[in-house]
Amino acid sequence: MSDKNKSVKSGATEGVAAATRGGAVIEKKSSVKEFFINNSLYILLILAIIGIEIYDPRFLSLSSIINIISLSAANLPIALGIAGCIILTGTDLSAGRIVGLTACVAASLLQMSGYAGKMFPALGEIPVWIVFLAIVAIGALVGFINGFCTAKFKLHPFIVTLATQLVTYGVLLMYLMQGTNNGQSISGLDSRYTNFITGSMFKIGGAAIPNYIFYVIGIVALMWFIWNKTAFGKNMFAVGSNPEAANVSGVNVTRTIILVFVLAGVMYAVTGFIEAARIGSNSASTGLNYELDAIAACVIGGVSFVGGIGKIRGVIMGVVLLRIIFVGLTFLGIDSNMQYIIKGLIILVACAIDMRKYLVRK
Amino acid sequence: MKKLKFKRSIMIFTVAALLFVSLSVFIGCGNKDMADVHVFYYTYSDTYISTVRSALDARLDAAGVSYQDHDGNNSQTTQTEQIQTAITKGAKLIVVNIVTTGSDDAAGGIVALAKEADIPVIFFNREVSDSVVNSYDKCAFIGTDAAEAGYLQGDMIGDYVAANYNTIDLNGDGVISYVLFMGEKGNNEAIYRTEYSVENANKKLAAAGKKPLKFYDAANKDGYLLDREGKWSAQAANDYMTTILASYNVANKNMVELIICNNDGMAEGAISALSSAGYNTGSESDTTIPVFGVDATSAARELIADGKMAGTIMQDHEGMAKAIGEAVENGLAGDSLFDGMDEYTIDDDSAKLRISYAVYLGEGEEE
Repeated sequence: MSDKNKSVKSGATEGVAAATRGGAVIEKKSSVKEFFINNSLYILLILAIIGIEIYDPRFLSLSSIINIISLSAANLPIALGIAGCIILTGTDLSAGRIVGLTACVAASLLQMSGYAGKMFPALGEIPVWIVFLAIVAIGALVGFINGFCTAKFKLHPFIVTLATQLVTYGVLLMYLMQGTNNGQSISGLDSRYTNFITGSMFKIGGAAIPNYIFYVIGIVALMWFIWNKTAFGKNMFAVGSNPEAANVSGVNVTRTIILVFVLAGVMYAVTGFIEAARIGSNSASTGLNYELDAIAACVIGGVSFVGGIGKIRGVIMGVVLLRIIFVGLTFLGIDSNMQYIIKGLIILVACAIDMRKYLVRK
Repeated sequence: MKKLKFKRSIMIFTVAALLFVSLSVFIGCGNKDMADVHVFYYTYSDTYISTVRSALDARLDAAGVSYQDHDGNNSQTTQTEQIQTAITKGAKLIVVNIVTTGSDDAAGGIVALAKEADIPVIFFNREVSDSVVNSYDKCAFIGTDAAEAGYLQGDMIGDYVAANYNTIDLNGDGVISYVLFMGEKGNNEAIYRTEYSVENANKKLAAAGKKPLKFYDAANKDGYLLDREGKWSAQAANDYMTTILASYNVANKNMVELIICNNDGMAEGAISALSSAGYNTGSESDTTIPVFGVDATSAARELIADGKMAGTIMQDHEGMAKAIGEAVENGLAGDSLFDGMDEYTIDDDSAKLRISYAVYLGEGEEE
């Protein structure tokens, strides 16, 4: 944590930030106990993997590992986006609906030509990257509205995004009525698009690796750079720790908040873009409740609702952990009803363990 | 420092307890061995699908087939990911109650997964298109004819209304005003039921020399009230009905005289709103508005028995489970999926098997 302290612009903020993050330095006992507490999630994860692997050895077969990685990759961008909002002590309830809207727009613009149910029959072949930019713009726009209302009207993002998710859903419903579509789900995607996302350039031992995994790796790298190496990223942590202090030390709080939400919106659009081709279900219910899994992944990965705390690797770890739970429970053949209970308990336990880390330090 | 240690131990205890609970749950439930057949339900919260699930579970148990059920929780993403995972786990056959109807991409993606693993896939209940079913020789669909429920519901309503015209026409204006609750936009079953229920009822009424049904609110051009969440939920119907009853009632002589619902869940919701306003209480002295649904859930059967609901259309969940069970056994034996299933109606141009609907007006009154 303390490396983040370098991030802030002036000494004043630095002091505040250090205080908020707890005196990690004071209690830095290099005892075995500390090690276990700090890495408890990783240890639990490894134990779970070993346990499931013993139960069913196919769990760690090549195709299963690629399955887990690809499921995690598809869920990463939205979690990375929402993590920024959580670092600002906020949240984003509109994430799922933005995924839905962008997925539907992407699908409608990239239906194969000559498809019977084409939403806009007159539409020619639009290059995939133009559609990508268009939906990124849509995601950014909704994100901007979220950020603007949060920053300018001093509303809690919970309220703002509660409102904007409804608006977004309304827009999505209206959009689905456009052209010849009449409220139907959008189908018949152009193979240029689906190949771009789910096609595969590489095969390892006969198991195909979908392309989108590589795009997500690129996005993770980009987000890591933004969070850790840019002034904006450093400002984000400063504002999350203590907006007043950040303001005093010359950080443009309003701009930072807006940018965090815009970036989040862009990440949701990326998720929507992947989702539309990956699942092929582009209807009004696409994206519903996606934000919940993303928020769960973030908090499991140690992105704290206290604000100002979080790491990219934590988010990745949270997403992967959730996916391993999902896949693991299927492998263990556990009753679906029970899976919800177990998932809930694991989220609780994981967060309790993680919170303990900070409690001990305080 | 002591206090801190105390707190710490409480924390450790809590965490350990939670872990213990989850682990014991793990061990307790993890006894089903490597399942051959994986069944994917679109959601566990659908009452009709739950009846199919228990019937199918019983059937597969009886046949000694090892299986595992999955809850898609109304999300195509969840379901597709479950299927992906089940296949990596070594599923030998998958049975899918798809979440997204009307999207060839979602269904096609699932077929592609099955094709790659070279295992049979049986879709059921929620329809997939012919082209998807025909794209893979080990793919089949078992369901009903979506339009049939609408036709049957319309016929049932038409017959009922024509026979009891004067009782139903509360204000005596010679026209029956109705409200229709639609379960979901863009779902074929909902669209057919919405359209044909009124259309067929009007045909029957015309034959009996009566005026066609009139939607209660002239300002509503759609001719239905939609569950905006697309969940076919009792709650949506209840909310609408409560709102309607605030301004439409017997005293104002503008009461809605007939209620048509896309499913029984919505019918239940409407009836509970009616009951709180003093209608459909089941007693002879109170006004009863005829309410019609589809599915014949056990709740609806009870309401019909109590005289609070007029009728419903029965989806034969036993028949559905039986047909799926037979197809599963064929698939596992390596035969063609519909081998020896000649007693069923099968479409001419694709591997789609249809279970028929029946009118249900109460115990012993099935047609």
